[in-house]
Amino acid sequence: MVEKQRGAMRLAACDPAAHALGLTPGMALADARARVPDLAVFDHDPVADLNLLGWFADGCERYTPACMLDPPQGLLLDITGCEHVFGDAARLAKDVQARFSRHGLSCRIALGGTPDSAQAKARYAARAISDVPVEALDGGDKVHKALRRAGLRSIGDLAVRPRKPLAARFGQAVVVRLARLLEEEDPRITPRRSLPTIHVTQNFAEPISRTNDVLATIEMLAGGAALQLQERGQGGRRFEIRLFRSDGHVARLAVDTGTPTRDAALLMRLIRERIDALSDPLDPGFGYDLIRLEVPLAEVLANVQVGLETKIDTGAAAAALIDRLSVRLGAERVRQFHARQSHIPERAALERVAQSDVAKADWPKADWPKPVPGEPAMRPFRLFETPQPIEVTAGFPEGEPRSFRWRRHVHRVTRVEGPERISPEWWRHARGYAPGNGSLTRDYYRVEDNEGRRFWLFRRGLYDEIERPLWYLHGIFA
Amino acid sequence: MNKKPNHIQPTLSAGAFPSVQGMWKQYQSDAAQSLLPTGAPYVDERLRGGITQAGLHEFFGGAKADSHAAAAFALLLAWRLPESDAGIFWISGDKERQTSGRLYPYGLSAMGGDPARMLLVQTADLRDALRAAADAIRSKAASAVILETHGNARLVDLTSTRRLALAAAETGVLALLVRGDAVPMPSAARTRWRICSAPSAPLPGNAPGLPTFDISLLRHRGGAAPFAARVTWDHATRSFFDAPLSGGLSAIVTDTKTGPESRQRA
Repeated sequence: MVEKQRGAMRLAACDPAAHALGLTPGMALADARARVPDLAVFDHDPVADLNLLGWFADGCERYTPACMLDPPQGLLLDITGCEHVFGDAARLAKDVQARFSRHGLSCRIALGGTPDSAQAKARYAARAISDVPVEALDGGDKVHKALRRAGLRSIGDLAVRPRKPLAARFGQAVVVRLARLLEEEDPRITPRRSLPTIHVTQNFAEPISRTNDVLATIEMLAGGAALQLQERGQGGRRFEIRLFRSDGHVARLAVDTGTPTRDAALLMRLIRERIDALSDPLDPGFGYDLIRLEVPLAEVLANVQVGLETKIDTGAAAAALIDRLSVRLGAERVRQFHARQSHIPERAALERVAQSDVAKADWPKADWPKPVPGEPAMRPFRLFETPQPIEVTAGFPEGEPRSFRWRRHVHRVTRVEGPERISPEWWRHARGYAPGNGSLTRDYYRVEDNEGRRFWLFRRGLYDEIERPLWYLHGIFA
Repeated sequence: MNKKPNHIQPTLSAGAFPSVQGMWKQYQSDAAQSLLPTGAPYVDERLRGGITQAGLHEFFGGAKADSHAAAAFALLLAWRLPESDAGIFWISGDKERQTSGRLYPYGLSAMGGDPARMLLVQTADLRDALRAAADAIRSKAASAVILETHGNARLVDLTSTRRLALAAAETGVLALLVRGDAVPMPSAARTRWRICSAPSAPLPGNAPGLPTFDISLLRHRGGAAPFAARVTWDHATRSFFDAPLSGGLSAIVTDTKTGPESRQRA
């Protein structure tokens, strides 16, 4: 691996074979080439390295939920309380080692009472923390050089020294770091992701790869999660499934529901939809050896007694259907009408996601106008998102339209009502109300053509606002 | 589907009582034939009561620009259903929304509908739309499902419409298929209509009046003969009525110049 450092191509990393030939990171590429003419060189890609590390971290979540990246090459796992699953900490470490070596990766594992101590031991391949060189203090070159000059080469040498003079000479940070290395102070690591309170996990002795097996396992886990949710009187709003592949890859499936639920059968339907809708299908590879179901978001859901007379609950059926369609098509594709305070027609009515976080009762009650007997609808049943430009012939400039051309078809107007004048929302504009400023006044007309089609047209702008107002078709009446 | 229309009385052959199974079938076919009247006496008479509620119905626009009339007519029919908690699903693709605009709740409520009952599903393509429609019909959540398509689509064929029709017959959901700018192809729909917008009775000041349609029944699986009529929607009573033609004649469209036949596609 090479990288451009200070204008020269230098080695950023090398493999064990290169090490054996005497190459070290930091060496100029030209020098390395001089020593080993047939050197294979690749560009160094730090982002890819970090991605790979993240990938490993995901895979390590099988051991503990508290996992942290330690770039450029390290991972910190907090295994407090997790060792007993594997017997003890040493066996857990062995399992990690086995997993990495299976992929041809070498790794160095160290166990420590604090993350800092474990990190230092792993980095400097030391058995005990006292053997770790002073560079582990991360105090900068100056500090390390000064310590070495004073004959203090390892953490062990420092440990027996009084701390106060050290702090006075090198600063408090060095002393804090030393205390952490010596396991006197225990900072917690900040995990990449916090584990939700409700989760169920299934381990497999042999990896499974058939989709049916996976689904059956998820169903079993869903049953387990439902029990936990029931004990808490809660229902899940979001379910996440993590499929840990034996080669370290972790696939994630997430399912959202509109109302809290703990119905395993419903959840299974949603998950099947989710799997069907995946753009790249699940690739079990060599199989999954651990599956975990998590409930990151849960809400109160009272226990209900199901009556003997089972009446079809349309509300529940609707919620289930909305969830199903939202999972398959995307939540933003299943919508409901929503009113907004505005007299600009297209601003007054919005559509909002039907599967919304906001409880339906909290929605502002829409004040849709009631029909007036005998009067036709004054608003079209269909509205164009962007008004359609049309060519209009009017009797006189400010007059009503006589005929218009829309989509290459001329409509002769036989009945017309208007104008209904709608002013722009001038308070939205920085300069306030001024003629011809930004938005223009619209004059709306309800028209019917000779074939009985009814349209909603408007002229954008009054003649004293702009030179040549344009006409648009905005909606269609039944 | 029972081919015999209005099969109310079980036929008793001499000395033989109908079996329980036969009675059950009878009951079922009656339930399946629960009819939805349009409210217009002439139309309902020709339909022998109305359109089958648990079934699929197709609406074609007479000309390209009449796809809106077909959509409106289907929507108004759905509002004829008795009030219930169950929603009305409007399913359309991105293409339909782009060409035909979106539903506007103020206009819907002004025609007597309740926009809060409407659920809008917008799919990327027709395949998703058909699937969503089948799901919506199969669930007990919908009272009516309206699927809007635009253009001649190969996907809307005998198989896919039969899937919708069977689901509708099973759950009793009114399934309406709006086909704008398309030519009729074989389908499993119980009725097929051609809808055109028609000149309304003008209000004072020559203002456009209530929604008026020229409807023609093209096909009826129950055996009703094709007919044409002009109906107007009254949002106060939420029903259609036979539109009076000038001269106070019957509602049959006789004027071929404005009639739907003149707008039939070649």
